[in-house]
Amino acid sequence: MSDQPIIQVRDLHISIDMDEGTLTPVRGVSFEIHPGETLGLVGESGCGKSLTSKAILGINEKKCHARGEILFRDGEDRVTDMLKLDPRGKAIRAIRGSQISMIFQEPMVAFSPMYTIGNQINECTRLHITKDKKESKAITLEMMKKVGIANAEKRYDQFPHEFSGGMLQRALIAMALVCRPRLLIADEPTTALDVTIQAQILELMQELQKELGMAILFITHDLGTVAKMCDRVAVMYLGRIVETGTAREIYRNPQHPYTRGLMNSVHKIGTRKLDRLFSIEGTVPLALNLKDGCGFFDRCGERTEGICDLKEPELYCLGGTHCAACVRCREEVTGGA
Amino acid sequence: MGRYIGRRVLTFIPILLIMSIVIFFIIQLPPGDYLTSYVAGLKAEGQIVDESEMESLKERYGLDQPWFIQYFKWMWGILTRFDFGYSFDYEKPVWPVIAEVLPMTIIVSLATMLFNYLVGIPIGIYSAVHQYSIGDYCFTFVGFLGMAVPNFLFAILLMYGTYIWTGTAFIGLYTSDILVGLQQGTLQWYDLLLRGDFWGRMAIPIIVIGTSGTCGTLRSMRAQMLDELGRNYVLCARAKGVSERRIIYKYCLRAALNPTVSGLSGVLSHIFNGSTISAIVMNLQLVGPRLYNALKAQDMYLAGTILLVMGFLIVLGTLLSDILLAWLDPRIRFSGRRGEG
Amino acid sequence: MTRADRKTLRAIKKAEKAKKKEEKYYLASQWQLMARKLGRHKLARVSMVILGFLYLVALFGDFLAPYSLTAYDADAKDMPPTPIHFMYGDEFIGPYVFPSKWETLKMSVAEMSRAKKEAAERGETFSTRQIVTDETSPQKLQWLVHGSPYRILGIFESDIHLFGVEKGKIFLFGSDNLGRDLFSRIILGGQVSLTIPFAGTLLSFVLGLLIGSISGYFGGWVDNVIQRIIEVLNSLPSLPLWMALSAAIPAGIPPVRMYLLITVILSLIGWTGLARVVRGKFMSLKNEDYILAARLAGVSDMKIILKHMVPGFMSYLIVNLTLGIPSMIIGETSMSFLGLGIQAPATSWGVLLKEAQNVTNIVSHPWCLIPLFFVVLTVLAFNFLGDGMRDAADPYK
Repeated sequence: MSDQPIIQVRDLHISIDMDEGTLTPVRGVSFEIHPGETLGLVGESGCGKSLTSKAILGINEKKCHARGEILFRDGEDRVTDMLKLDPRGKAIRAIRGSQISMIFQEPMVAFSPMYTIGNQINECTRLHITKDKKESKAITLEMMKKVGIANAEKRYDQFPHEFSGGMLQRALIAMALVCRPRLLIADEPTTALDVTIQAQILELMQELQKELGMAILFITHDLGTVAKMCDRVAVMYLGRIVETGTAREIYRNPQHPYTRGLMNSVHKIGTRKLDRLFSIEGTVPLALNLKDGCGFFDRCGERTEGICDLKEPELYCLGGTHCAACVRCREEVTGGA
Repeated sequence: MGRYIGRRVLTFIPILLIMSIVIFFIIQLPPGDYLTSYVAGLKAEGQIVDESEMESLKERYGLDQPWFIQYFKWMWGILTRFDFGYSFDYEKPVWPVIAEVLPMTIIVSLATMLFNYLVGIPIGIYSAVHQYSIGDYCFTFVGFLGMAVPNFLFAILLMYGTYIWTGTAFIGLYTSDILVGLQQGTLQWYDLLLRGDFWGRMAIPIIVIGTSGTCGTLRSMRAQMLDELGRNYVLCARAKGVSERRIIYKYCLRAALNPTVSGLSGVLSHIFNGSTISAIVMNLQLVGPRLYNALKAQDMYLAGTILLVMGFLIVLGTLLSDILLAWLDPRIRFSGRRGEG
Repeated sequence: MTRADRKTLRAIKKAEKAKKKEEKYYLASQWQLMARKLGRHKLARVSMVILGFLYLVALFGDFLAPYSLTAYDADAKDMPPTPIHFMYGDEFIGPYVFPSKWETLKMSVAEMSRAKKEAAERGETFSTRQIVTDETSPQKLQWLVHGSPYRILGIFESDIHLFGVEKGKIFLFGSDNLGRDLFSRIILGGQVSLTIPFAGTLLSFVLGLLIGSISGYFGGWVDNVIQRIIEVLNSLPSLPLWMALSAAIPAGIPPVRMYLLITVILSLIGWTGLARVVRGKFMSLKNEDYILAARLAGVSDMKIILKHMVPGFMSYLIVNLTLGIPSMIIGETSMSFLGLGIQAPATSWGVLLKEAQNVTNIVSHPWCLIPLFFVVLTVLAFNFLGDGMRDAADPYK
C-alpha cells in the first residue's frame, strides 16, 4: 500500500450566489486521507460538511461554485483534480460510484421508489464493472450478501418500500461498495436509524473497510461515533476546519473552545439526571456577509475582545498532527503574545 | 394486478348508475316536454299528426309519468335493448343520430389527447431541466396565456388568423370532397384516418381544443419534474455515476408522470369541454353541436345520451389511468390504493 | 451626559427597535406572514393592482360609462373607435372629437370596380355608405356631464357621467350593430362578468366547506355517498353540464333572477374540488391529538369544526378558491357566448363576444374583439394572484 494520500483537498472554497448576497459556506478547507484510513469530519449542521463532501464528487447543485483543488489519486497512481472535471462529463462519472462512492444520510429517500433494490444496485455494477447481465447480477448478489442482507435473491426483486430502514442502509452500503471504491464518503450514515441498528451498521462498515482496504471520509455530528470509527478527526465550524488531529489527541486534549463545547455536550453515562446537558449557546450563523475575526467569536466563552474579533486565526500546530485555529494555541506555540 | 383491475372495474358500476340518474334528472328539468309542444305545434300548423305513433312513444318512454318512472323506462331500454330513446328533433332513435358523429368525436378527442401529451410532457421536461432559462420563461408565459384564453375565443382568433392569411374562412371538419364522399357513402369515417388532407384540416381543431389542456399538462409536468429533480435519490444516482440523461428519463420522468397520468380523466373532460364549444363555434361535425341543439330544443333523450356517453368515456379514461398508474408505480400496485396528487 | 453616552444610548435604542421588529416577525400571525410574502411576489402584486382597478371600474361603472345599457343610435351602427384629437388647426384645445355618422353617398370613380366604372360611363350611379365626419364643429370632451340616470351601488341616484360630448357620440371602443357604445357595455358587462365568478366561488366555497366537513367529520356511509356523488360530478365534463342546467332556465325571467341562477349553476359543479380538499384535511386532522383533547374536554362537534379544524386549513382553501375563479369566469363567458347564460337586456363580456362569432364580422369590425382582452386579462391576473398566494401560503418556502 503506497503511503501517498488518496485524496488531497487544498484550500477549498464554495460560494453560492443568492439574491441577498454571496453565501460562503465553505471557506478554505484543506485535508488529506491516506489509504485505509478513516477521517472524521465533525461539526454542527450548517457548517459545510456535506457541501465539502459533495464537492469531492462534484454533485453539488449548479449554483454552488467551488474553487481550490481536490486531488484524487486513482488505482494507477494518476492524480486528477476533481474540480477541473466537467461535473456532468464522462470522466467524472467514471470515478463516481466506482472509485469514490457515497452513502447518504437517509436511506429511505436515497432509493427511487419506482425500481427494485436489485435494479438500483445492479445499475452501479453494470455501469462500472461489466455489461454482462448474469455476471453483474452475481456480483450484485454477492455484495448484498456481504452487507448482511439475508435472502438476497428474494430481496433483489423487492421495492424500497418493502425494506426496513436498517435493511435499506445495508442496501445503500452494498450499492456504494459493489465496485470496491478506493474512497467511501459516508454522510451521517446512521443518524436516521435506531440506536441498536446504528451500532450494527458501524460495525459492518469497519469490517468491510478492513476487507476492502478503502479509505473513509466519515461525516457526522456525533462525537461518540467518531471515537469509534475514526483514525483522525477534523472539526469544522462555519466553513473552516478549526481543529484537526488524531482521534486520541482531540479527545484527550481538545484545544479549540468549539471542540471543547462539542465534547461537553456529549451525554455521558454516569452523569446525574438533574445535571443539565451542556450546550453551546446560539446557532451557527449564516455564512453571509461575515464579519472579520474568528467565526466562533459570538458564541465563544473564552473570547478576548480586541484580538479575536479582528482577524480570523490560522491553524496553529501544537507539534505532531494536532492543530487548532485559536489564538490561545498561538500563545501556547509561541509562548505568549 | 388482475385482481386490482377487477376491483377497479367493479367500483365504476355504481358511479355509472348514479351518473345516469343525475343526468336524467337534469335533462328533464325544463318544464313541459318536447312531444306535447311538438304535437301542438304541428296541429297549429294544420298538419296531420300520427296520433297512434305519438301515443306509442308516450307509452314506451312513460312521458306522462313522474321523472323517476321515465328514468327506469329509459334505463331499462338501454340495458335490455340498447335503446337510448327517441330523438324527437331528428325523428328517429337516438343511437343512430349519435353514431353519425361519435367516431369522429372520439378520434378528435384521442388526437387532441395525443397532442396534449406529446407537446405538454416534453416541453414540461425541458422547462424543468432548464429552469429559469429563456426557453423556460417563454414556455411558462405561453403556458399561462394558453390557460387564460378560453377555448372558443382561441378558435375565433385562429379562424380570424387563417382568414387573414389564406383568405378563406375555416368552417367544418371536412373538405368539400370528403364531405361529398361521406354523404354518398363512398367514404367511411375510418377511411379518413389515412388521408393527408383530413389531418391537415384537423390541425386547427386539435390545436384549438388541445391548447389549454396542453398548457395545463405542461405546467404540472414542469412542477412535478422540478419536485423529482430535487429528491435525494437523484443525488444518490448522480453519486454512483449515472448520466444526467438517464437520471431524467429512468428515474424522474417515471415518477413525475404519475400525477400526469392520474390527471388523464381530467384531461379528457377538459377536451370534451373544449370540443363542445369549439365545435359549435367552428361548425365541426362532432357531438357538441348536436348536444347544443338538443338542449335548446328540449330533445331530452338525445341530450341525455350525449352526456351519458361523455361521462362513460371519462370514467373509462379514469379506469385506464388507474391501471396505467398501477403499472408505473409499484407502491400503488401493492397497496391497491391510488396515489395522492 | 457626554456625546459618546448619547451615541451609545441611541445605538441601544436602535438595536431595541430592530429587535422588536424581529420579534414582530416571529410573532406575526399566519395571515400577516402570508400577506408579507404575497407583497414580495411581483406578478401577484401587479395582478392585485389590475384586479383592484377592474373591480373599482365595475363598482363605479354607471358613472364611468358615458352611455347606459339601453342607449342606442341607429345612425351610428358599427362605428369604429372614435379618434380623439387635441390640436385643432394649430391650436391646442384639449381632447375633442368630430361628430360623425354613416351617410349614403354617391360612389366616387376611384372606388368603383371595373364593371361599375363601365356602367358609370353609361350614366348609372352607384351609392356607397361611408362614415362622414363633420370637421367643422369639434366637440370638446366634457367632464361630469348629465346623462341617463342611474343608481350608484343601488342607493345613490345620479345622472352624472364622467365624460361625454354635447353633439354626436363618443365611442372609445367603437359601437355594435345596433349603435351601442362598446366601451360603456364593456364596463357595464364587467359588473356581471366580474361578480358572477366571485359570487359563484363564494357559494361553492360554502357548499364545499359544508359538504366536505360533513363527509370528513362523520365518515362512514355518509362519506361514502358524498364521495360517489363527487366522483360522478367530476366524471362529467363541466361545460356540457352547465349547458344542460342553464337550458332549464325558463326564458324571459328578470335579469336579477337569471344572474342568481347562473351563479348557482356555476357553483353546483365548482364545489366538488373544495369538498375533497376539506374532507382530506378533516380526515388527517381528526386524528391529531389536539382535536382528541378538545373532544375529551367535551367541546361540541360544531365548535370543534369551526374553532379548531377550519382555521387549520383556511389559507389553503383561500388559495384554492382564487385558483378556481378563472374557470368560473371562462364558464360564464362561454355560456353567455352560446346564448345559454346572461340574456339581453343584461350584458356580460360573453354576451358582447357573441358579435365576434363569425369571422366576417371580425374582419369588418375588429374592435368587437376588445372584450376578449378583458377576459384574458382578468383570468391571467387571477391565475397569477392564485399562484402567488399558493407560494405565500406554503410555509416551507
